[in-house]
Amino acid sequence: MLQIQDLVVNYGQISALRGISFQVPDRSIVALIGANGAGKTTSLMAISGMVDVTSGRIILDNLDITDCKPSTIVSLGICQVPEGRHVFPELTVYENLVAGAVSCKNLKKAQLTERIEAQFDLFPRLKERKSQMAGTMSGGEQQMLAIARGLMSDPRILMLDEPSLGLAPIIVEEIFNMIEKVRDAGKTVLLIEQNASLALQISDYAYALELGRIRLFGTGKELLASDEIRSIYLGEA
Amino acid sequence: MAYLVEQLINGVCQGAIYALFAIGYTIIVGVVGLVSFTYGEVIMLGAFAALYTATLSGGNIFLTIVMSFLASGVTGIVIHKVCYEHFFEAARYISLICTIGMSMLVKNLVQIFCGSETKPMPAMIRSGGIRLGSYQVTYVQIAVILVVVVLCTILSVFLNRTRQGIILRAVSQDRKAAGMVGIDVNRATLLGNVIGCGIGGVAGMLYALYYGSLSASMGGMATMKAFSSSVLGGLVDTPASAAGGLLIGILENFGVALFASSFRDMIAFVFLIIVLIFFPKGLRISGRRRGK
Repeated sequence: MLQIQDLVVNYGQISALRGISFQVPDRSIVALIGANGAGKTTSLMAISGMVDVTSGRIILDNLDITDCKPSTIVSLGICQVPEGRHVFPELTVYENLVAGAVSCKNLKKAQLTERIEAQFDLFPRLKERKSQMAGTMSGGEQQMLAIARGLMSDPRILMLDEPSLGLAPIIVEEIFNMIEKVRDAGKTVLLIEQNASLALQISDYAYALELGRIRLFGTGKELLASDEIRSIYLGEA
Repeated sequence: MAYLVEQLINGVCQGAIYALFAIGYTIIVGVVGLVSFTYGEVIMLGAFAALYTATLSGGNIFLTIVMSFLASGVTGIVIHKVCYEHFFEAARYISLICTIGMSMLVKNLVQIFCGSETKPMPAMIRSGGIRLGSYQVTYVQIAVILVVVVLCTILSVFLNRTRQGIILRAVSQDRKAAGMVGIDVNRATLLGNVIGCGIGGVAGMLYALYYGSLSASMGGMATMKAFSSSVLGGLVDTPASAAGGLLIGILENFGVALFASSFRDMIAFVFLIIVLIFFPKGLRISGRRRGK
C-alpha cells in the first residue's frame, strides 16, 4: 500500500500540489485524472523522487520514502514510465530492457534473460524488433517498450504517465489491455490519463484532481457514472 | 606521390591520436550533456604523468599508459565533484564557466610546480621502423596505432556489451528517463567522466610520445582538436567523432604537404567551420549501425 499524505510541491512561486492525499492499495489500478496543470504528473514525479517535496509524506507500507533518491525508490519497487515514452533512442530494444533492470544489482544473467523473455511474452512485437534501435520504432511500439522497460525492475507499483498520448485508438486499446494484464499478474498500477473515460473503465479506484487538489474520489465505476465527472472530463452536458 | 603516401601514414597516425582525444571527449559530453573546457588540461596532465612515469620507471610503456589513465581519471573525479555534481539543477552555464576556471587552475598549477617550458619526452620506443615496400613506418607510429586500436576495442566492448556501458549510453541519451528506470545518474556521470578523462590522458601520453615533447600549455590546442573532431559526430556520436579525428589528422598532414607547416593548426578550424555549415547536427554512425 502506497500512501500519499498532504503532499505539497512548489515549483518556485507556483504551487503545483496544494496538499493532496490518496492511497494506492496493492494489486489494483488507481487512476489520477484531471486537466492540464491539475498536478497529475507532479504527483508521480514526487513519488519517484524526481522533484523536491515541500511538505507532506509519501509512505510505502511503513517506510517513509519522501526524501529518497530516485534510484532508491526504483529499487524499493516503484517505477515510473514517463510521459512521452522516453525510451533510449539509440539503444536497441534489448539494451533498453537491460537498462530497465539496473536497479536489481545482483541479477544473474539467467534471471535477466528470463525477465526479458517475460516482457517478450507480454509484448510479442518487441521480440521481433529486439535488435532494432528504439528511436526508429513507431509510437505504439515505443510505448510498449517503455512499459516493458519499467517492468524490468520487477516493481510492485508501476506508474504510467499518459500511456495513450499520441497513439492510434487501436493501439491504445492494446496498451490498456496490457495494463489490466499487469494488474492481474499481481502488480499495482498508478495511472495518469487525460483520456478519462478510458482510464475510469479499467481502474479500481480513481481520483479527480483539479488545480493541485483532489476534487473527487471513488471507484472507477462510480466516477464514470458521476454527473460532475461527465460534465467536466467527458464533455457531456 | 611517394611523399603523399608518407604524409598519409603520418596523418593516420596523428589522426589516431586525435580520434582518441575525440572519443574521450564525446563520452564526457555525453554523460554531462555539456561541452567541457577542462579536457585539454586533462590531456596535458596525462602527458605529464607519462613523462614522470617514463622517467622513473625507465621507460616501461605499459606502466606509463596505466599511470596516464589513472592520473587523468582521478582528475575526472575532481572535475566531476567541483564542476558538475552540485550544478545539475542549476543553469547550464554555471558548470560551463566552472570548467573554464578549472582549466586555468590546472594549467597554472602545472606551470608553477612543473615549469612552463617545453619538456622533452624520453623516448620509450627505439627509433627506426619497418619498411613496407618503399615506405617506412616507424616503431613509434606502430605503437601509437596499436594502443589506439586496443583501447578502442576495449571501449567498444565495454560500451556495447556490459551493463555499465549500457548505463552510460542510456544516461547520455536521456538523463531523466535514466533516473526513472533506477539508474544512479550521478554515479554514472562520475564513471563517464573518469573513463572519458582517462582516455584523454592516454591520448595525451601518445601525443607526447609521438612528438617527443610536452608542455603545460599544450591543453588549449588539445581542447580545440578534440572539439573540432567531435563536431563531426555532433559531439555525442563516438564512432563519427573518432572518424572526425582521423580525418583532421590526415587533412593536417596533406595541408602541410601542399601549403606550409605553419598552416597546420588552421586545418582543424577550417574543418570545424565546414562541418558546422554543412552538418550542423553532426553525423551518426552508431545510430544506424544496427538499424533495420
